[in-house]
Amino acid sequence: MLEKPNKLRVALISGGVIGAVSGIPGISLINCCCCAGVWLGGLLAMYLYKQQFAEGMPPLESSDALILGLMSGVVGAFVSTVLSVLILVVLGPVEAEFLRSIFEKVLDRLAEEGNLPGDMLDQLKEQLEQSIKDSAQVSGILGGLFITLIVYPIFAMLGALLGYAFFRPKTPPQTTPAQ
Amino acid sequence: MNTSKRIYLVFLFLVTLWCAGIMLAPLVKAFGHGASSILYSLYSPICHQIDQRSLHLAGEKLGVCARCSSIYGSFLIALLIYPLIQRLGSPLLPKRWWLSVAVVPMLIDVTLNITGIYPSTIETRAVTGIFFGAILPLYLVPPLLEGFSQLWHRLTLRGGLFYARKAEQT
Repeated sequence: MLEKPNKLRVALISGGVIGAVSGIPGISLINCCCCAGVWLGGLLAMYLYKQQFAEGMPPLESSDALILGLMSGVVGAFVSTVLSVLILVVLGPVEAEFLRSIFEKVLDRLAEEGNLPGDMLDQLKEQLEQSIKDSAQVSGILGGLFITLIVYPIFAMLGALLGYAFFRPKTPPQTTPAQ
Repeated sequence: MNTSKRIYLVFLFLVTLWCAGIMLAPLVKAFGHGASSILYSLYSPICHQIDQRSLHLAGEKLGVCARCSSIYGSFLIALLIYPLIQRLGSPLLPKRWWLSVAVVPMLIDVTLNITGIYPSTIETRAVTGIFFGAILPLYLVPPLLEGFSQLWHRLTLRGGLFYARKAEQT
């Protein structure tokens, strides 16, 4: 009997997609909706993996989805961090500046409408500046990597499980009996 | 207790922990404790955390926005009542189009907001989020329990073989 297709190649591709979606400024905003980019990456991993199955191979199982999601999430976390650092080095804090401009507009509008006291406005702007500075520091980058290494594999696994629910064979494989 | 039940309980515990963190962030901040920044930063890669788009507790925004809070909250509630709807360990999944039905209202809300046709409100974000989050466990729990059962079975099988070989050698 043939063996199942190799997961590493698929994990590298889908992890690369997760990393690109999460690391490129602008596109990364898709993750603002419950990590949608990472979910979609997990879903893509499952789709690509399913495509590699041929006749005579063991059937696709839900444990494949878990492993594939985990691998894609870990690869995605590293790729996203590397991309963010590269963009930071080459272009500077593009994303942070972009977000700063949006937040400042919102804050100014709130202050104009009288919903935000002047001292609070200054305090919020100060916090915004601080967080932008932190994000460009080594500790900020490593902290970000640590968090994404926890969050991305979880969400990629959920995405892959959802992918399994979509792309699984019509007759599910026999599961191990409950003990 | 069977494997499926154990895995379900672990998953339920983790989801509860995740949701508790969302609720805890504003409470910790309201008490002026510095740990709130750690909690907020934990959720920052997955949510914009904009104050105006968030629900508030004790005068502070939750760890994630209103849409995300609704999704996670309804996901947790649906997960809690899941064993009443379907037997744990059953591989049966609802029809695929149910998931599309659950996603479409949220997508419409997002699209209308982005295009500026109809600005979304906290209420529309919350309602569409609740709808989506409540449907998700029906699709995620069966493969999750099945997948971890398979992995657990493989691990225990390998462990058993390892000890059997070791016993043979000695």
